[in-house]
Amino acid sequence: MSALMTVSMTINGTETEPVEVPEDLMLLEFLQEYLNLTGTRYGCGQGVCRACAVIHDGPRGPRALPACITGVAWANGRAFRTVEGHAERDDEVNVTAITPVQQAFLDHFSFQCSFCTPGFVSAAQALVERLEVDPVPVEDVEDVVLAALNENICRCTGYVRYLEATRDVILATPGLTTGVERAEES
Amino acid sequence: MRTLLRILAGLVLLGLVTGLVIFFGFTGAGPVPPASRDLEALDEEAEAEMYALGEYVAKAGDCAACHESEDGLSFAGGTPMETPMGTVYGTNITPSETNGIGNYTADDMYRAMVYGIAPGERRLYPAMPYTSYHAVSRADIDALYVYLMAQDPVEKPNRPAEMVFPFNLRPLIAFWNLIYRPDPPEDPGPGLSGGEDLAEDRRGPYLVDVLGHCGECHTPRNLAFAKTDDHLGGTVIEGAVAPDITPQGLARRGWTRENLGQFLSTGLSPQGVMTFRMFPVLSHSTKYLPARDIEAVATYLAEDMPDPASPPSEPAAVDAHPEGHGLYMGLCAGCHGSEGEGQPFGSVAMVGNTTLMLDNPLNLQRVIREGIPARSLSGHLRMQEMPAFEATLEDSELEALTEYLRDRWGVGAM
Repeated sequence: MSALMTVSMTINGTETEPVEVPEDLMLLEFLQEYLNLTGTRYGCGQGVCRACAVIHDGPRGPRALPACITGVAWANGRAFRTVEGHAERDDEVNVTAITPVQQAFLDHFSFQCSFCTPGFVSAAQALVERLEVDPVPVEDVEDVVLAALNENICRCTGYVRYLEATRDVILATPGLTTGVERAEES
Repeated sequence: MRTLLRILAGLVLLGLVTGLVIFFGFTGAGPVPPASRDLEALDEEAEAEMYALGEYVAKAGDCAACHESEDGLSFAGGTPMETPMGTVYGTNITPSETNGIGNYTADDMYRAMVYGIAPGERRLYPAMPYTSYHAVSRADIDALYVYLMAQDPVEKPNRPAEMVFPFNLRPLIAFWNLIYRPDPPEDPGPGLSGGEDLAEDRRGPYLVDVLGHCGECHTPRNLAFAKTDDHLGGTVIEGAVAPDITPQGLARRGWTRENLGQFLSTGLSPQGVMTFRMFPVLSHSTKYLPARDIEAVATYLAEDMPDPASPPSEPAAVDAHPEGHGLYMGLCAGCHGSEGEGQPFGSVAMVGNTTLMLDNPLNLQRVIREGIPARSLSGHLRMQEMPAFEATLEDSELEALTEYLRDRWGVGAM
């Protein structure tokens, strides 16, 4: 029987009520069992497949991390975004607008079974937000996208559609890349 | 005054002459025993036999550790070895006549391996472990010669060593050799070529101290970067701890003879997984050793070993290090278990972990900072990736976590 601890964290912009949980509880279980946020998926349970990736909004900017091996002991007091927190919603929490990343995944038919999709959404969104602060040259975009999504495992569509969708969002969004003028001239 | 100058000039001259006499008279290659057999007159069967043996000598001697090319496909060299005096790059030992060892005779190879002297009296840096290889049998070198000469030549030029002055002056190695290079033993024994004739009690030392050249990393070095008498006593090399692998050091950290054999043949044991420069040693060398040789190595390393200590565990560390314990629960326990039990094929156990029991926390901190890539160990045995926590942990948090781990299951709980 493991020791108990009281935790509270910011999930999708809302601070959770303090609740007593086992100190070895993982963030993923906390999201699913305590907050009923079941969009974040349990895949390998070892931090390898990234189906459980959520965005951590920390002092060093947004970063996707595996919720299945990140404990509440660390998550306590920190801020995270799950796949439920990306789209805009009205007062009745109905989705009113999805994000460019989500739209691009739909347009590109990036997923079939969708089990890995929340993890890809988190990884791609964290990348887009990172590039808003720290844009990269156009010619590096494909490498940067591959590096950011490389850890996420998908068994259906073969990755290319996820990579192309993310690349297209980045190229179509002003401010995420540098050297665009030169590309237009040539 | 003039007399003084004369005396001084005389002394300098005497020093020079002595130096030259020593250089030419005493620091060259010693005697070369006759070839084990006529390598020019091998029939097909004998050549195949020597090739197979040579391949095994190359593996047991871990030539690939330094001579492997960057693409991992040949012995064309390029692997850097960082020393305090500069960087040496493994050379091309494919049979290319222009870039490799295509012009070597078997005698030349013997001189290079045993005396550290390549054709043209070129002195090799002792990064080439001739002070370990000095006791390789002539028959093993002949077999290795047959094997290496049968490889495809690769036309890849050697990358010159980048040594700082005065270590870039190769002739000076002659004087190092004079002091630190052991003479080959009068009877090096039959070597691996001897098969059954290499008795069990000689097999272990031959594999560990000679071919395997374990001491090149595990034995502390002196100021001249020569191995000291503290044989296999453990040291820091290339930014990582090469642990103490004396019987006492191993027993203190809970190793048994069986664990050693398991670790060397599979890369994994209850004490942990091969990391840093020991992982390539597994991939190039130890996983290819047959059971009998693994047994011989483990038996030699565990010779007269005291009773191994049981895995240390200090539950009081939980309350003593609240920050470290919290970080462990939040970032580590998901894989390594809240009680440090680990999980098969995923994460090593903290209970009994040899790295936690090292006096120097260097390896532990590097693994936490840098992570370890997913790796195939031996056969179908794999370990998953250990993530890098450099971007997650502040320096003070890393310290707190390290202290907790070492006091909970490591050196602080012993």
